[in-house]
Amino acid sequence: MIIAILMPFLIALCIPFIAKFKYRIHTGYVAFAASLSIFLYFLTLLISGKTDILYHYSWIPSLGLDLTFYTDGLALFFALLISGIGALVAFYSIHYLDLEERLGSFYVYLLLFMGAMLGIVTSDNIYALYTFWELTSVSSFLLISFWFNRKASTDGALKSMLITFLGGFALLGGLALLHLVTGSASIREILTKGDLILGSDWFPLIVVLLLLAACTKSAQFPFHIWLPDAMEAPTPVSAYLHSATMVKAGLFLLLRFTPVFRESEAFFIAVSIIGLLTLFWGSYMAVRQTDLKGILAFSTVSQLGMIMAMIGYGTEAAIFAAIFHILNHATFKGSLFMAVGIIDHETGTRDIRRLGGLWKLMPITGIISVLAAFSMAGVPLPILNGFYSKEEFFASSWDLSADRAFGTGFASVLADIVPYAAVAGSIFTFVYSMYFYFRTFTGKSETTVAKKAHDPKFGMLLSPVLLVSGVILISIFPNWFSRHLLLPAANAVYGETMEAHSIHFWHGLVPALLMSLIVVISGILLYSTRSYWTGLYKLLPGRLSGNNVYSVILNASEKQTKKLNDHIVSGSLRQYNAIIISFISILTLLVLFGTNSFDLSNMDTSPVSLPQSLPELAVAVIMIAAAFGSTVSQKKLTAVIILGVVGYGLSILFVLFRAPDLALTQLSIETITVVLFLLCFRHLPEFKRERKEKLSKKITNIIIASLCGLMMMLVGLAAYSQRLFPAISDYFIENSYKLGGGDNIVNVILVDFRGLDTLFEITVLAIAALGIYSLIKLRQKGGDR
Amino acid sequence: MTNFAILPILIPFLAGILLAFTHKRILLTRRLAMMFALINVAAMTFLLILVLTEGSIVLETGNWMAPYGIILVLDPLSALLILTTSIILLAAVWYAPSSVSEEQESFYFYTFIFLLVTGVSGAFVTGDLFNLFVFFEVLLMASYALITHGGKKVQLRESIKYVLINLFSSMLFVTAISYIYAVLGTVNMAQLAERAAAADQLGIITTVAILLFFVFATKGAAFPLYYWLPRSYIVPNPVVSALFGALLTKVGVYSLIRTFTLIFHQQPEIMDQLFIWIGNLTMLFGVIGALASRNIKLIVAYNIIPAIGFMLVGIGIFNNDGLSGSIYYLLQDMIVKAALFLLAGTIATLAGTSDISKMGGMIRSHPALGWMFFLAGLVLAGVPPFSGFIGKLLLVRGAFEKGETATVIIMLLTSLLILLSIVRAFIQVFWGEGETGSEQKRKHLRHLIPAGFLMLFTVFLGIGAEAILPTVQHIADYLLNPQAYMELVLKEGR
Amino acid sequence: MEIIMIVLAGILFGFAVYNILQKRLLRIIIGTALLSHAAHLFILTMGKLKRGASPVLTEGTENYTDPLPQALILTSIVISFGVTSLLLVLAYRTVKTNGTDNMEELRGNNHD
Repeated sequence: MIIAILMPFLIALCIPFIAKFKYRIHTGYVAFAASLSIFLYFLTLLISGKTDILYHYSWIPSLGLDLTFYTDGLALFFALLISGIGALVAFYSIHYLDLEERLGSFYVYLLLFMGAMLGIVTSDNIYALYTFWELTSVSSFLLISFWFNRKASTDGALKSMLITFLGGFALLGGLALLHLVTGSASIREILTKGDLILGSDWFPLIVVLLLLAACTKSAQFPFHIWLPDAMEAPTPVSAYLHSATMVKAGLFLLLRFTPVFRESEAFFIAVSIIGLLTLFWGSYMAVRQTDLKGILAFSTVSQLGMIMAMIGYGTEAAIFAAIFHILNHATFKGSLFMAVGIIDHETGTRDIRRLGGLWKLMPITGIISVLAAFSMAGVPLPILNGFYSKEEFFASSWDLSADRAFGTGFASVLADIVPYAAVAGSIFTFVYSMYFYFRTFTGKSETTVAKKAHDPKFGMLLSPVLLVSGVILISIFPNWFSRHLLLPAANAVYGETMEAHSIHFWHGLVPALLMSLIVVISGILLYSTRSYWTGLYKLLPGRLSGNNVYSVILNASEKQTKKLNDHIVSGSLRQYNAIIISFISILTLLVLFGTNSFDLSNMDTSPVSLPQSLPELAVAVIMIAAAFGSTVSQKKLTAVIILGVVGYGLSILFVLFRAPDLALTQLSIETITVVLFLLCFRHLPEFKRERKEKLSKKITNIIIASLCGLMMMLVGLAAYSQRLFPAISDYFIENSYKLGGGDNIVNVILVDFRGLDTLFEITVLAIAALGIYSLIKLRQKGGDR
Repeated sequence: MTNFAILPILIPFLAGILLAFTHKRILLTRRLAMMFALINVAAMTFLLILVLTEGSIVLETGNWMAPYGIILVLDPLSALLILTTSIILLAAVWYAPSSVSEEQESFYFYTFIFLLVTGVSGAFVTGDLFNLFVFFEVLLMASYALITHGGKKVQLRESIKYVLINLFSSMLFVTAISYIYAVLGTVNMAQLAERAAAADQLGIITTVAILLFFVFATKGAAFPLYYWLPRSYIVPNPVVSALFGALLTKVGVYSLIRTFTLIFHQQPEIMDQLFIWIGNLTMLFGVIGALASRNIKLIVAYNIIPAIGFMLVGIGIFNNDGLSGSIYYLLQDMIVKAALFLLAGTIATLAGTSDISKMGGMIRSHPALGWMFFLAGLVLAGVPPFSGFIGKLLLVRGAFEKGETATVIIMLLTSLLILLSIVRAFIQVFWGEGETGSEQKRKHLRHLIPAGFLMLFTVFLGIGAEAILPTVQHIADYLLNPQAYMELVLKEGR
Repeated sequence: MEIIMIVLAGILFGFAVYNILQKRLLRIIIGTALLSHAAHLFILTMGKLKRGASPVLTEGTENYTDPLPQALILTSIVISFGVTSLLLVLAYRTVKTNGTDNMEELRGNNHD
């Protein structure tokens, strides 16, 4: 089990080495062999009926992150899909990709993706699931941009990455909440605690976050916009990631949590509306496309919407139908993508306006396409599986509206509308399927295109042929598939055992058949008279699609941020300081008064009395005057010398306040500093040439300066008057001589009690000296970088 | 054994001094520097193991008992950060010869680097608020010397702003210390904690704490105090940028974690919200700067800021998940930022420009560089299973536990935008048409190995998180109960 | 007396900030010098003023001025001196290299 899931990663590690020999053996064979053996492994599990296999490894238990893999019906169903289609795609790509391409990279990404996908569907631990989830986004990014020299590819890759990561991060939030609410990181355990989740205050947020994850990954409206752009990837990638597997991861996520969510009416409303809207919008947009892959991309969007809607219904029949359609969609859409790949490969174009009449040139491709496209359209033929699941879809929609007990309030109204919406959305599906097939294979094509086209080699045809055989096989033996594959999966989703579901071509004249017929008839009508309807397809502008929103946001993320940032980080020191200082001052003042801490009642001050205090007061006045003088002085020399007065004033204060050491130090250092000032600024221009400052700027400066001074003053006063504890200095006074052996307490503190401070104070000086030395001596020429 | 606590300061200090004497002999200096860096890593690994097995080490310098002398405390948090610092120092010394000119090397380059680390390590171990100021000055002075080293035009222009802004915050720092001394009568952190906890007039303590918050937040580049950072960090040599990006802001964050869990968590209703909202704004504005930049080094430099925001938010969340998230984020961000600066420096060197719009298709000639850059981007955005994810998940969980939904949304959005900023640069530089750097195909290996060495650690911190995470969670518990620290330091005082 | 000194220090702080907000480098540096004076005065005042003799042990004296703030100031003065000298040289080099002492002309832009 563990080997099956980790194998893709291990082989991906080896691929770069294997790829060196690509001219002897196509690297794709390795990937093909790997995926095939994984497929066979899971097949044996299916056949032996041995489900619920467990593998457990404690990875980061402190985080709640374990590697616990298990296979229930749902996991097995998806695992088979992933490895089976994976094998076919790997085989197909061998013939699709030239040896000149970077095959090593391609298969590394592909295998990473496959491993990650298998990890998603088999993980029991939510964080492991999340890890694999993000890995699929990353590998999808790398695969879309496989031809990284094309701008369209990298743009598409970026788009898909942003949108899927948006969902990914939402998923992280949702899963963290689930963990918080249930206290467990194991999905199986979480599912047993449905009541806790449903009753929690977090429930709405959990649903929103998980839906965001599912809708972005599974390309639901309005997040579907990344999928059409992802078509820049090589076609095998589109077939694999962007139709059969990765885009189903979102559906899988919802299916996984359905046992809990289906109890919620809000979930029904949200998911059904999103699903039906996407179904409609996707199929409507598909008709407008001219690129074959574009049609298929929008068609995928719409089909995903349909499955999403069924998950939203949450009824037994709907869940079963959803699973059934996931399988069918993988078969017919996979083969259609491969057919488009062949057409592109052979004719060199995917533009439907240039194509036509390929039926004669490429009959096998034609057969593949007609079966797959008609299956997609839901044409009522007993060999087309698409019809079966669409019938189920209609039936479950009908049942919902027929079930009088279903839902309350808006939910029941919605349930009544559902069948109509389902039919309306499906009509366009029929139209674009016809359009896809008939425009490509019948009629005439441009002669240049038609000349060289022919069916490709057998190798390239094998995969689509197998897939189309799948379409037919499923249609002929629906109940075999149902019993062995679909029912176990549906049971796992539903949370309880369903009664055996038998699938028939003919149900009698039931509403679902009627709905199918309406779709087919109106579809044929719409298609055959489509020239009259071109206006209809232009009615709803593509601008609504959210693409505009995306480009506006992306542009803004470049231009608006730049504007904003240039404004903030302007390079102006004055602006930096002004903002920093006023922010600090205002917030501190707010806290000071907000906490009511400006309390001067206990102020213990030494008395001021004239004339004893005259010296201090005089010095204080002189210092203020000097500070003022040096601030307004227009001559640099005067300014510096007056500044010296402030310093000398301070040293006199030190003397008056019984700090002789300080006074001495201050005196000498002030002197040196003034000299340094004069030395450095001797050659500099005078202040006089200063242009007059704007008055408003001056006033702002004065306000900020007073604010800051005031703040320091008030906090200082408040701090001084609220001396909550005695200072620790008595110890120094007592022990200075006894233990430190010195009379001068300050000195003893400096060299002994707090010797470390002094050591590193000297270090600072030493670094400054070396720094000044290299500043003066080391002058590197050169550019700005 | 308690003397071991001085080793984190002593080893780089002695190395710095010794290297000052050998500065003329470049080859010898390089080898000695490398040797010291290795010894440092080994010693710090030993210390971490020692601390984890035997318990924290408290050194009373000069044998003066707490709170009167200066106390050095090597607890698991300090030991972990110091080890990380030593790893970054090793990578820097390893990378330096390939990007620093010989002339520059001969001008005490290695001395400055080792003294910078001395200051950083000192700040991590000291248990004394004023001593913290002194070590701040040591590391700042070394950083002034390094940022101006080379004396190019832009370098001088930006570094003078850097010096002036830091000078203001230093002066605010000493003044705030004096206020605290007035109120609580001590500068020893454990005693401050004890007295603050016993105090009944909390308002004034909170007010002074706010001042200190701004001092550390200026060093840590929080909103709106981050303006000085981006441009001044990109002007020196990539090695210096890497050291700055990895270490300097983180010392600010460390000081916030230390003082605000130990001493100042007295009025949580104010403090927590302050941390959370400053953190939120820091994330948003930082990432806006990153998105706005077209210069590869600036993109990396701006990305320092949102990471600081994440850490601040974690402190504000103030539960085990929040704090351990903060600490884990701190540890891994130090390493990945250092790596990113080295990578960005290499890109700029190879391309001959920092402007990404002039680059393209670089992956053709430099695939390893490209993928490392891409990987670092994923780490930054917190994509699992890399190290950024571990911290982010803890923070998200912690924020939910506290009911801070808005903060979670901002965190997740910021992650997305970080990803956008890095991936867009990646696409521009490495993909598309163009042959940037193809003429220097073989030359860049010696650039890449130190960066790759750091990337290995990043990956390990993600995939092998279990090796570190329990310790970090233990540290978070220990920070939530400051009693342990007080008893550790003040044991003899009673 | 302490109130007067705190007010004085606050005023010095204000002048310092005003100078820091100017665009001329010399003015800014004058501001930082004032700033350190203000800070040191704050530290001294916070340890109470004139409560006893100078902190030099002499026989018969019971009360001494709080010595710890003085020790801290000494450390801080020396450090400030180191920073200021480096700053002055840096300013000198900046002005010489960039040809202006007006910080508004030293904004730079985001592209270099």
